[in-house]
Amino acid sequence: MTKKFAILPCNGLDKQNGPISREVALALLEEIGGKVICPVLLNNASPRYEKLLGELPLLVIDGCGTKCASKLAAGLSLKVDRKVLITDEMKTSALRPEDTLSPGPAGMEFAKAVATLIAEDMPEEAMRNSESLFSAPVDYNTFTHDKYIFRVPREGFFFNENDCWVRVSGTRARVGVSDYVQQNMTDMTYFSPPPVGKTVEQFDEVGTIESVKSSMDLISPVSGTVIAVNTSLVESPEIVNEDPYEKGWVAELELTDFDSDMELLLDCKSYLELIRKKAAEEH
Amino acid sequence: MEQKDTVLVVPCSGIGKVHGLISRESAYEITDNVAKGQADTLCLALLVKGDEEALAKVRNSRCVTIDGCAKYCAKKNIEIAGGEVAESFMVNDALKNHRGEQPGTATKLTETGWTVVREIACSLANGIEGGEK
Repeated sequence: MTKKFAILPCNGLDKQNGPISREVALALLEEIGGKVICPVLLNNASPRYEKLLGELPLLVIDGCGTKCASKLAAGLSLKVDRKVLITDEMKTSALRPEDTLSPGPAGMEFAKAVATLIAEDMPEEAMRNSESLFSAPVDYNTFTHDKYIFRVPREGFFFNENDCWVRVSGTRARVGVSDYVQQNMTDMTYFSPPPVGKTVEQFDEVGTIESVKSSMDLISPVSGTVIAVNTSLVESPEIVNEDPYEKGWVAELELTDFDSDMELLLDCKSYLELIRKKAAEEH
Repeated sequence: MEQKDTVLVVPCSGIGKVHGLISRESAYEITDNVAKGQADTLCLALLVKGDEEALAKVRNSRCVTIDGCAKYCAKKNIEIAGGEVAESFMVNDALKNHRGEQPGTATKLTETGWTVVREIACSLANGIEGGEK
């Protein structure tokens, strides 16, 4: 597996090299994956990136000698695994970006070349995550109402009447919201995760999502302790719209009493029946 | 209110989503085209790291902020720096007029995305030209 980074570019805007650092970060993201950190959000709300920085090594990309991104990392005492300075890369490259703030074709070519150099220089490393626990493919049943097609996983997921799901693997579970919710709320704009370590009872609140239409507290289908949150949703809440049952998971819990919780949960068939009724009433 | 001669257009540093790119390109559209010579821009990361020159620039300007999301990083950081936010704009508000259309990705705008950029720039430029100088 290619090593992925949490990538912290500078926010360069008013000098030529800054916008290129951003393009290098995005090119790297396309080439090998990883996650990009918004520098100003990191400065304002560093806990949002705690989990990510615990999982991935940190790559800092500075545009110019002011080195805002490096200073930001140093100010937060972050361990930097690799640094790139665009000014230095320009000295050694045969490519010459345009002298404009918004990179043109040559600037984009230069950014891609720098990203490739970084990617090729990465050793392999196993990643620490629990993706494998929840990686089994999901098959869906569907229910059509007007122009909407609602999906419900056929097996392995259980639901409460608040339209939140749980997927269990051993003593762990992931929770999230159903396809019915994301289609009703439309474009997600904000995700507020529950704190890691929080103990929740069944039907306690376990995070909040907001869309352009409304907001919703997520009601936990299970009791347990939050051991991880999906930090990707903080940066990209639209993942809930794109993939509510897999990439759009909200929190991971260590379960305390799933057998009891199950008594109040619905399987695929029962939940499909429930949303049929809701859709008939609401639409 | 104290009169300030310069206008500073400050986009958020959003990266990884199309909203951040629209915010950034809207700022460039204002400073380079629709209000060329009437407005300047500023790197937000430089400001949050406490650069003295950036702080002074913010405090001596009327600031127009363009945020990609509801975290309002640009608006909040201008206020924290002691600046006057004369106008705050959120990209989502412009995208609402283009529901069902694809504005692009974090790296590339579609024609709809560029249309949104021009709409934001024109909307804010009206305020810049008509604002208190």
